[in-house]
Amino acid sequence: MPEQAIAQPEIDAVFPKVAQTIADALGCDLEEVKPTSSLIEDLDAESIDFLDLVFRLEKGFGVKIPRGKIVEDARGALPESEFEAKGVVTEAGLARLREFLDEVPAERIKTPLKAADVPRLFTSETFCKVVIRAQRAAA
Amino acid sequence: MAIDSGLQGKVALVTGGSRGIGRAVVERLAGDGMQVVFFYRDNAAAAQEVLATVAAAGGRSETLQADVADAKAVDEAVDRIVDSHGRIDLLVNNAGIVRDNLLGMLEDVDIRAVLDTNVGGTFNVTRAVARHMISKRSGRIVNLSSVAATKGGRGQSNYAASKGAIEAFTRAMAVELASRKITVNCVAPGVIETEMSQQVRDLADEQIKARILLRRYGQAQDVANAVWFLASRFADYITGEVLHVDGGFKME
Repeated sequence: MPEQAIAQPEIDAVFPKVAQTIADALGCDLEEVKPTSSLIEDLDAESIDFLDLVFRLEKGFGVKIPRGKIVEDARGALPESEFEAKGVVTEAGLARLREFLDEVPAERIKTPLKAADVPRLFTSETFCKVVIRAQRAAA
Repeated sequence: MAIDSGLQGKVALVTGGSRGIGRAVVERLAGDGMQVVFFYRDNAAAAQEVLATVAAAGGRSETLQADVADAKAVDEAVDRIVDSHGRIDLLVNNAGIVRDNLLGMLEDVDIRAVLDTNVGGTFNVTRAVARHMISKRSGRIVNLSSVAATKGGRGQSNYAASKGAIEAFTRAMAVELASRKITVNCVAPGVIETEMSQQVRDLADEQIKARILLRRYGQAQDVANAVWFLASRFADYITGEVLHVDGGFKME
């Protein structure tokens, strides 16, 4: 079933709380957290911070975000073997990412992109959408 | 004069806490003022006994039934602890089993059971607890290894492999969690007088003692003291280490 698009007002509604949660998890100033900020590139997050952030979002929003769910959603209907080859995201995978991470400037999603580097693309808005999807799943 | 270990009022989770070394650890930590929650798998009567002993000594403990090899059950149990206590400051991965036999005689089920509980269980509980510690940016993890990890014993290939894995896991986790101020260490007991080592002690009593410098078996309390030390503020600057509590067994 194709995912129902997430509208901008929905994102705007959760952004303040998501931004505060990101600031708390990363120990940065709230003003630094923009919707387009890449957590790793702009806010100096480490991958271990994502664990903490997801945990805080679960508590703050009263939702469940299962382990591996974000990457699984990013891959969508593509099986892993078509999404990446030898650790590098395929053309089909890049196309899927551009569609799924439409908040990320398309020029940042370019080859060669290592599958392990996909989280480097995630922005504050990515996590707003993670929360919204989790809320929908729970509804 | 009482020594301030920094543990008073903090919350500990001990797996396999109803018997043997785990029980001694629960009693030691509760005796020092920690609020101790322990898992037991199937001996509810033994777990009740531990609760009563701790309470009689003026300590606080509670218990939850959970098989550490069951990741879902572990996640749920850990969530319950965090819901009621708000945090877990110390995790002691103690739950472990033996299924000794010569390799050629080991059934698949004996190999799997030991690896699933000893290694899989350590993974499951650490994964469930570490996320809470990461958020708090503090925590202690103490894993129970064994002399078997470094000194092979006949008929213990599955157990030795599981304990070697736990030591490697400890070092990897120490690296992974250091930036969040979480220390991860191991205690490696030698032959301790518990129900679990009864069979091996019965089979080769003199031979074993001949390999121990101190020429006697250890007590569960000896191991509990080492766990307490690694949990205490006196071990603030220690991570990724294996503390051997074996009367010098490893020296032979």
